[in-house]
Amino acid sequence: MRKTFLLIVAALAVTAVVGATAGARPTATPGVTAKSILLEGTYPLSGPASGYAPIPVGMGAYFSYVNAKGGVNGRKINWHYEDDGYNPANTVQITHKFVEQDHAFALVGGLGTEPQLAVRQYLNDNKVPQLFVATGATTFDRDYAQYPWTIGWQPDYEAEGSIYGKYVVANMPNAKIGVLYQNDSYGNDYMRGFKAGLRSHQSQIITAQPYDLSATTPPAVQMAKIKASGADTLVLFATPTPTIQAYVIGTKLGYKPANVITNSVSATDAFLTIAEKSGSNIVEGSLSVEYTLDPANPIYNKLPGMKLYRSIMAKYAPKANANDGLNLYGVAKAWNVVQLLSKLGKNPTRAGLMAAARKMTFAPGKKNANPFLLQGVSTFTKGSFQYPITQVKLVKYVNHVFQPQGKLIAGRGALR
Amino acid sequence: MQTFFQTLTTGLSDGSIYGSLALALVLIYKATEVINFAQGEMAMFTTYIAWALMGHGSTFEWWAFFATLGIAFIGGAALQQTVIRPLERASVLTAVMATIALLVILNGLAAWIWSPQLQFFPSPFPTSSWVIGGVHISKQDAGTFGVVMACVLILWLFFRFTKLGLAMRAGALNPGAARLMGVRASWLLALGWGFAAALGAVSGMMVAPTVFLTPNMMQAVLIYAFAAAILGGLESPVGAIAGGLSLGVLLNMLGEYVHPVTTELRLPVALGILLVVLLVKPAGLFGRVVVRRV
Amino acid sequence: MKRLGNPIALAVLVLAVIAAPFVFSNYRTYQLAFVGLYLVALLGLDILTGFTGQISLGHGAFMGIGAYTTTILVVDHGVRDLWTIPLGGVAAGIIGLAFGIPATRFAGPYLALATFAIPLAFIGILKRYPHFTGGNVGKNLPQLHSELGWHTNPSIWFYVVCWVVALVMLPLAFLIVRGRFGRAMRSVRDSEIAAAANGVSTAGVKTLAFGISAFFCGVAGSLYAIGITYVNPDTFPIDLSILLLVGIVLGGAGSLYGMLFGALFVEFIRISWGPALLDLFSRVHHIDTHAPGSGLVVYGVVLLLVLYAAPAGAAGLARGLAGRPAFLRRKEDPSLSDPGLV
Repeated sequence: MRKTFLLIVAALAVTAVVGATAGARPTATPGVTAKSILLEGTYPLSGPASGYAPIPVGMGAYFSYVNAKGGVNGRKINWHYEDDGYNPANTVQITHKFVEQDHAFALVGGLGTEPQLAVRQYLNDNKVPQLFVATGATTFDRDYAQYPWTIGWQPDYEAEGSIYGKYVVANMPNAKIGVLYQNDSYGNDYMRGFKAGLRSHQSQIITAQPYDLSATTPPAVQMAKIKASGADTLVLFATPTPTIQAYVIGTKLGYKPANVITNSVSATDAFLTIAEKSGSNIVEGSLSVEYTLDPANPIYNKLPGMKLYRSIMAKYAPKANANDGLNLYGVAKAWNVVQLLSKLGKNPTRAGLMAAARKMTFAPGKKNANPFLLQGVSTFTKGSFQYPITQVKLVKYVNHVFQPQGKLIAGRGALR
Repeated sequence: MQTFFQTLTTGLSDGSIYGSLALALVLIYKATEVINFAQGEMAMFTTYIAWALMGHGSTFEWWAFFATLGIAFIGGAALQQTVIRPLERASVLTAVMATIALLVILNGLAAWIWSPQLQFFPSPFPTSSWVIGGVHISKQDAGTFGVVMACVLILWLFFRFTKLGLAMRAGALNPGAARLMGVRASWLLALGWGFAAALGAVSGMMVAPTVFLTPNMMQAVLIYAFAAAILGGLESPVGAIAGGLSLGVLLNMLGEYVHPVTTELRLPVALGILLVVLLVKPAGLFGRVVVRRV
Repeated sequence: MKRLGNPIALAVLVLAVIAAPFVFSNYRTYQLAFVGLYLVALLGLDILTGFTGQISLGHGAFMGIGAYTTTILVVDHGVRDLWTIPLGGVAAGIIGLAFGIPATRFAGPYLALATFAIPLAFIGILKRYPHFTGGNVGKNLPQLHSELGWHTNPSIWFYVVCWVVALVMLPLAFLIVRGRFGRAMRSVRDSEIAAAANGVSTAGVKTLAFGISAFFCGVAGSLYAIGITYVNPDTFPIDLSILLLVGIVLGGAGSLYGMLFGALFVEFIRISWGPALLDLFSRVHHIDTHAPGSGLVVYGVVLLLVLYAAPAGAAGLARGLAGRPAFLRRKEDPSLSDPGLV
């Protein structure tokens, strides 16, 4: 009996200690003090998706750079992010903490389709900006009317898929296509776009093999079926690990497609080099698209954006691998955030932030384009067009590096 | 027929990896009745060490392989003496929990030290295949099978023909009597963990070329190793290897020939088959059922 | 009355539960709601592992079953979320019973490893039937909102729901554990041979314990879905099952009130204590608090330290070192008690 009593008392004591940590004192506009603006985000720093961990590091580096120059309108950016392990349940609890305890001004760059889907309604109900989510799931851009506080940033998967579809129609109208796609919103968004881009040529897809992302089973059966179908063009709508496995398994099976198209998330020099080292001989010539500068490709080294990127990384994130494009992605996004914040002037508000995000024109024509994106790429939103970045360039994997090919392609039509 | 042999060699290669990790589990279980949940992460961690020794390079270096085996052995023994031994006095549940804590720490530590970024790990074997009568036999698969089996064989020789091996077997079989005969039980446990860690390192280094080096790479392998250990019987080293090989072949054959079994069902179906086997032979294929007189 | 546990302790707990929302912020209240929910889950797992001696590594899946039951009923069939809570428990309980029947044939470690298969199979099935389960994309539930005509902050509403359920399930757990069935469970845990010799149907006890523990976890899972407002396969990984096991060990397997500690640990370690500890440590010796994996290392090290300090959990500490139940004493040398070798 005494033991039970002791236990309860102790549990209460623990709770009191734990609970007593005061949250931030709420200010008139949450997250905004005289000297700082608090931005927070959830990222997978542990678990299977932790490969994306460099993104918030890049963002932090850029914010530090801006803070060193005096910040934005006299305020320093306070950037804080936490690990949700790609588990939406954690994302929900941490997001509640960010909103209700830390009173963040905005949630920025939250990573992961499912984790961000889990918190979208909550953030919208509480009128907290869910800014520039780090996922290409089309719904985050498309459904702005239902979720006015949510906006994406990168070219969405559906648009990217349609670019591949149109490319096939224009350049390989007789190709026989075999698709390997991840059986979730990621792969399905790509497939939907791909078919839309193919229009009347959808019959060119002679086999489409879905697979489930799982740690235990590489997509060997699917690759075998694609080979057996006689497809001469392989299209990979998969996350990095299964993409690399597909390349390797393909070669093991003796499959040699004339063309390979790989989605942009998995098409990095690092991943494809691993595929080659692991024995795949069908990597050279792979096609994909790009919209940011590629720090692994020396042809960009002379561009002012790349020079600035490297100097920022060297000074504010010296331990990070500056050749990792994920850092540059973070820097590019942070640039965008700072542009919006500076437009808000002396008294930033959450509503003001979203209004600015919904009316962006950062274009070469106006000499204010994002220097970390490919030359010519605009960041543009207006009215019913809420896809911030839609322009990409085709790239081809030649000699271990992705080389840009041809002109910019507009994934969702001309920008007006 | 071609696919049959290809599937068979891949199955044996996969199976040997599961079997060696299963053997590691069995070694520790036989000695301490504790299932070492950290076995996979220990394998992963030592594989990262091998990678570091090879200078993150693209070519496999045999000296690094053997050095890693040594480091794994010492590390495993050290872990047992420092982390596990203090908790052995407590319940089995507490000891198991300690291995879980170890799992978490090693996983986090690997990501912290080497970053979670996917890395390439070289294989000692070329990625080409021998072609015998139209059948492609992957050199990597055959080589993996050979290396793992060689290590297992050496371990078996050690247990069978050396005094220390005999002492360890005695200690596992009957710790009380062994102690009475002058065998230092605690050191034996450390050695057991050391050998288990070394086996795990072999497993990790052989599987890393195909699953790529990441902190989570051994999680799937560990699940299969558990299944293999149970299939073979947790007290049977022979069973662990046999269980591993059968499981590897079974999984690959299932994936190849039984089409309603889609990839996401492969593992649950395999586990289902395992459970069915256990219903018939509750102590695994090679386990001994202890007859309890009531 | 003794069978419902120490009444004073219960009263203290009830008072504390009532007082908490007035003392703590809304966010803390939200977290404490989860503590109540985890308490229910841990009570269930404790009944199986602490009281019946069967280690399970799959009970996160039973939470998942409860959660998905609630989600599908609420989202696809418009059932009010509160009514789905017992249904989630029942659904999980039935599957727990079904698993329990063959599982009784497996001894100790075999059972533990077999239970490992449950969450894997569960996730596999979730992905295999996306039309029914929402597949990888999962399903969104309606946002938390007060019901039954009461207007208050949703976090407080959720807290009330969770703790009403917890304060019902706690005496229920006591009833189970202190009655005849409880004695049967403990006899199976302490010595199956002796239990069988005394006419206890060990298989029946184990199966029922499985079902009951699954029921508790299913109820907790329903609450989980309601609170998180989203379910998908990623929300019920193996980590959750392991975390539950950690919770009962740290709380003290075989103690019911100890589960309070377990629940506090489970809720706060990853989200609050882990980052706070990292922060503290980095003031002493600079480390990158955002380094991938650092949170896991902290979690693991804390776990180890607590295990050393309190091998029998919080309950063990409270109990004092004397008089630990046989279950928690190290098994003696089997050779000395094995009749075959004399």
